[in-house]
Amino acid sequence: MSADVSRALNIAGLFAVSAILLVAFWDQFANAELPCPLCLLQRAGFVCAAMGLALNIRFGPRPSHYGIVILSSLVGATAAVRQVLLHVAPNTGAYGEALFGLHFYTWAFVVFAAMVAGSAVMLLFDRQFEPPRPAGLPRLGTAALALAGLLALGNGVSTVLECGGGLCPDNPAGYELLDPAAPVPAPEPAG
Amino acid sequence: MMSVPFFGCTLAILAVWAGRRWIAVALWALSLIALGVLYRLHATDTLPLAF
Repeated sequence: MSADVSRALNIAGLFAVSAILLVAFWDQFANAELPCPLCLLQRAGFVCAAMGLALNIRFGPRPSHYGIVILSSLVGATAAVRQVLLHVAPNTGAYGEALFGLHFYTWAFVVFAAMVAGSAVMLLFDRQFEPPRPAGLPRLGTAALALAGLLALGNGVSTVLECGGGLCPDNPAGYELLDPAAPVPAPEPAG
Repeated sequence: MMSVPFFGCTLAILAVWAGRRWIAVALWALSLIALGVLYRLHATDTLPLAF
């Protein structure tokens, strides 16, 4: 696999991660489903994993960049697995609506696992790391970087509006900075 | 506080676009550490699992 092919795959991967973050935003604004703290940590995991792809696109593929994808995905998957385990037992409810039969945190774990596996597969191809490294930034790569950057910034702003400067409530009911008098969410029924 | 990883990675992506690789990697590392700390702060309840 040449460096150019690798870069093209990384651009596609960065667009795919951005699509995931866009779906999360769509669910937040169109369906009014506010992200919980673990949800936000999973989104941050995707943004951190996107950094590895962005580095491959800008500076050419390097094993360390795939390492960034893997490490970020492992941290994101940890948050996703915790949220799955919080709701896997009977009568523990769920957070948010399901999408194609699985909740968002389950899909997040699937995608994080796929990103780890995909990075491992990409690392099998040594030719992409041989010099010379691709120079410059293709137009599509610039677009992918711009979209990822905007989504990272948008998530940061959204998080500040929802949680202010501190930690987020476990079951958010509104945007703290937009409506400080938002009602305190009722506790979830036990059992 | 929860927004630290997002803003950190935003700056990191700007550094990538500007061609500053080591700054981008450093910002990513700080963001990931912040992500880990935030997870630790939030994961406090015992999981409702009994085997």
